[in-house]
Amino acid sequence: MSDLELSVMAKDTDRAKPLSDRCVWNAVLPAALVVLLFGFAAFDRSVLSSANLLNIAQQTSYLALFAMAQTVVILTRGFDLALGPTVSMVSVGTALAMAGAAATGHETGVVLLAGLSAGFGLGIACGLFNGVVIALLGVNPFVATLGSYNIAIGIATTLSSGRPVQGVPKIFSELFYGGSLFGVPAAIVITVAVGIVLHLILSRTVFGRSLYILGTNSRAAAVAGLPVKRILVATYVLCSALAALGAIMMTARTGSGEPNLGGALSLQAIAGAVVGGTSLAGGRGGVGTAVLGALFITILSNGMNLTRIDGYVQMVVLGAIVIIGVLLDRLRLERSSQ
Amino acid sequence: MDVDVAPKPAEPLLQLRGISKHFTGVQALDRIDLGVRAGELHVLFGENGAGKSTLINVVSGTFPPDEGSFHFEGEEIRHLTPQRARAIGISPVFQEFSLVPSLTVEENLFLGREITTGGVLRAREMRKRAQALIDELGFDLDPSRRVDDLSRAHQQMAEIAKALLGKVRLLILDEPTASLTERETGRLFELIARLKSRGVGLIYVSHRMREIRTLADRVTVLRDGRHVRTLDAASSTDGELVELMTGRKIDLLYPTITHKPGKVIVDVENLTLADGSVRDVNFYGRAGEITGIAGLVGCGKSELIRAIYGIEPATSGAIRIDGAPYEFPAARRSLKRGIAYFPANRTAEGLALSRPIRENASMTVLDLPAFARFGVLRQAAERAKIGGIMAQLQLRPPNIERAAGALSGGNRQKVMLARALTRELTVFLFDEPSVGIDVGAKLEVYEFMKSLVEAGAAVIVVSSELPEALALSNRLYVMHHGRIVAELTGADRTEQNVLSSFFRDHLTAEVA
Amino acid sequence: MSTALTAAEPRGTIGLRAIAGRIGFLPGLLLLLVAGMSAVDPQFYGIINILNILRNASLLAIVACGQALVIVAGGFDLSVGAVVALASVVTAKTMAATAAAFPGNVVLVIASGVAAGLGCGVVVGLVNGFCVAKLKVSGFVVTLGTMSATAGVGLMITNGIPVYGMPDIFVKSFGRAQAFGLPTAVHVALIVIILMVFAQRRTLFGRYVYAIGGNVDAAVVSGVSIQRHIVGTYVVSSVLAALTGILLTAQVGSGQASFGGDRMMLQSIAAAVIGGVSLRGGVGRVELVAISALFLTILGNALNLLHVDSRLQPVFLGVIMVAAVALDELIRRRRGRV
Repeated sequence: MSDLELSVMAKDTDRAKPLSDRCVWNAVLPAALVVLLFGFAAFDRSVLSSANLLNIAQQTSYLALFAMAQTVVILTRGFDLALGPTVSMVSVGTALAMAGAAATGHETGVVLLAGLSAGFGLGIACGLFNGVVIALLGVNPFVATLGSYNIAIGIATTLSSGRPVQGVPKIFSELFYGGSLFGVPAAIVITVAVGIVLHLILSRTVFGRSLYILGTNSRAAAVAGLPVKRILVATYVLCSALAALGAIMMTARTGSGEPNLGGALSLQAIAGAVVGGTSLAGGRGGVGTAVLGALFITILSNGMNLTRIDGYVQMVVLGAIVIIGVLLDRLRLERSSQ
Repeated sequence: MDVDVAPKPAEPLLQLRGISKHFTGVQALDRIDLGVRAGELHVLFGENGAGKSTLINVVSGTFPPDEGSFHFEGEEIRHLTPQRARAIGISPVFQEFSLVPSLTVEENLFLGREITTGGVLRAREMRKRAQALIDELGFDLDPSRRVDDLSRAHQQMAEIAKALLGKVRLLILDEPTASLTERETGRLFELIARLKSRGVGLIYVSHRMREIRTLADRVTVLRDGRHVRTLDAASSTDGELVELMTGRKIDLLYPTITHKPGKVIVDVENLTLADGSVRDVNFYGRAGEITGIAGLVGCGKSELIRAIYGIEPATSGAIRIDGAPYEFPAARRSLKRGIAYFPANRTAEGLALSRPIRENASMTVLDLPAFARFGVLRQAAERAKIGGIMAQLQLRPPNIERAAGALSGGNRQKVMLARALTRELTVFLFDEPSVGIDVGAKLEVYEFMKSLVEAGAAVIVVSSELPEALALSNRLYVMHHGRIVAELTGADRTEQNVLSSFFRDHLTAEVA
Repeated sequence: MSTALTAAEPRGTIGLRAIAGRIGFLPGLLLLLVAGMSAVDPQFYGIINILNILRNASLLAIVACGQALVIVAGGFDLSVGAVVALASVVTAKTMAATAAAFPGNVVLVIASGVAAGLGCGVVVGLVNGFCVAKLKVSGFVVTLGTMSATAGVGLMITNGIPVYGMPDIFVKSFGRAQAFGLPTAVHVALIVIILMVFAQRRTLFGRYVYAIGGNVDAAVVSGVSIQRHIVGTYVVSSVLAALTGILLTAQVGSGQASFGGDRMMLQSIAAAVIGGVSLRGGVGRVELVAISALFLTILGNALNLLHVDSRLQPVFLGVIMVAAVALDELIRRRRGRV
């Protein structure tokens, strides 16, 4: 919820009008989602089939997870360009660790544990690197994560020799991709669970509160005695850990460690967060905005796929959507502050 | 100094009628009239927030007025932009410097008015003219230095030089002496006299009675965005002006504080800061008294208390709190030891403006079990505690879920003061506590300090407003160029003594 | 004169800054690299290798100069890589089409192709500038969007297949020609650099770009028109990227949508940042950016000659980038608060 709007509401003498305004503007994106769905459905009935809806939900869950990761750092006025390469690196590392453990004849449990700890270990290491460089050395987040972008790509392709890493045990794929809880696919279950926990962290803990304050005014946070540097490091670690989780889920889906798995994910995740209403100026956004943005982008590309819109045209549309989304968000804020 | 220029009956240089300006939720200017004659120095007088800076921004074209008429040299002006204002000879010198730090003085002087041939800069000619102007003004300023390498006083000179480049019909000066020394101030006054004799009109914003007495032809008093009265400087008294400005008698402004000095709580020995802003400073603050630190802007007084709180790095010296040495101060540890700091710039360093009042007030106590346990916030307890404290401080309106950015200056300061009541504290460091707040809120801040002191706390107040520093403190230190030049107690605490301690320092510096 | 005043300034650090800030450690580093490589591997100073280095460095330098200008004004241009690709494809397509329509009229064919290529740059730059300056959308998001859209258009035109059919003379006596023993790209880059240095130092445009990046408010108050100059920086950046695309096309002999891309974009930012352009805006000189482009190219070349696994090379680039900026930050901190 935007505080700018709240402030304006409280200030205006006529409270009813800004309130309705706010509802209208906040409903723009969800409304656009519905219009989008039905619009595509007009061309192709199968868009609204339960199979496709479940498919959309499952696809969204990956992007939503990465958008959440990105949102956490964007809240502090940073971003993580290295998110995509981190995903690749974690994918390769997880697969290699599991293949190695399986080859030396360990039990399934040990194999899984090896994979997960390698994956999260690499992710957290990457987050630590980003956090330390940004918070302690004072390097701009863009440069710092551009640096780790290159480093992670280098590590991912070197470890894998540039080829997919085979030997991922079946049970791993079943657990993180094929499995389901009450008929809901694993990816959705995990993302929803993570989303709830992250939301609680952001809204109910000292860490979450500090993130928002830090993102809104980092000088004030420092003067008020908040451990700014420690919070920043923790933020980048959290971001990379979430990216690692997403990487593990995607590795389970493909069934192999992929050195190019991350691809354009860094920018896609930023786009997802930003389209949903997370502000690059920091301090505004949350799990909701990340999920909304991811949902929007996924529905758009799903619909375009089903209606057989050329993949290259889709790139153009997505590019335009990102700009329009942010523009709308800015107008929304401006409108509500008049 | 030559003050009494005969008022010419001719058309005023600048004539504003019924100027209003509305910002989100605030009526900054309400039907203001202002006339400035050629060759006249017209003082704008008013509290912070009275609308002076909005008014000079309107005159210089930065803010378009919502309504009202604007005549300059007899012509009606509509849609004034900063470019247009400069072109017709309206030249502002802002308090917030309008200089680009990464450019040189010379590049800044000509910014927006470069001498060019077909878009190509004529550097040599600009250099010549910059040097000529600086020489004419008698400033000790190197035009090829980068602005971020200059001291505050030199930046101020560059700012004035920038305003005087080219045609000037109306010069606007916003507290121009705030960071100048006596000697530089003298030079500026000579310059002003010369400009007046050339028929230039001046709008001059200042709080300093002495300056107003020396320079002003007429004074316009503003209060709460309204025009109160315009009077002839010669026929008005100080008391009259202050009364018009505040809307109340002056002696009500400062509460009577009973100081009961106890043991030394804050003890600073030979403190020197990394950036050289404070050098070899010794001072102490006792429980039960307000220790004041006065000095010009940039003299190191703010840096001194910021170093005690732990947000400016010190290179040598010792700090003792309640007798125990305090090494490597840091904000968080200071709070744990009972030291609180209230920054001068509440927008930049105090508040997260888009966050609620509640979160801003509890920002400094998130480490206490009363507000958070195992890293999880106790929001119900927080709401109750902060709600109670804000009610006690008479927040208006009493809604703690509003964004701090929606508050007036006075209420913002109250949110900061609330932090003083959320945890056990013994030392209170106030940095320019009354900047940007209205008279009513000022009084409440002073009353708040009084209650702290009378409850036995050690309060240290840094202020550039001499009357405030004098009235509040029991003992007053005077700082100049990073050093403490005087410690005044009892009847010695007079404006005269403070000023002469600056002066003494100047003499010694020049001899050396 | 006024000793009381100047005494308060940190005198000694000005000398330090004069060395570290005005000249920088980059030329020294470059010399060290060249000397070291010459000693280790005689292949390094072979004429073929040197020409190769110069050609690649020139292409990067042209793009990086434009990028630097945008960053100095306080922005970002993520779309340069995509513009390189689009300009390449459009130039080739236009030449092929004109050649089919007016066979034999080589001048017209080449002129139309080059004009169309540069036109792409102008269009993308105008879109970027308009969105940033008029619509006030963050430069990061805008160019993220146009990056996707531009790349999409490039692929759409070609379906990912190289475009042939350019006049031989364009390839042979422009793209692969050598005057005074140097490839065309080097001459073009030198002209661009000289023009840009001149623009930065001696023109109103350059001065205003510094002012806007250094302190927008001061620029506004001083009567500098902000929007026009911001649009200008984006147009210059895109046109220079387009120029690079045309040079690449002429050199390779076909228009390809795979030119440029993310790699070129990230490298151009890396070159700008290592060349001392501050992401805070207001600071940065084009000639140092060009040197930094040369440095990065030689570094890549050196790693190749030393048989460092090409997959591992990004790691070096990443580490050096972060180290360079961290060092810069440390120097800045040492000379005190700004």
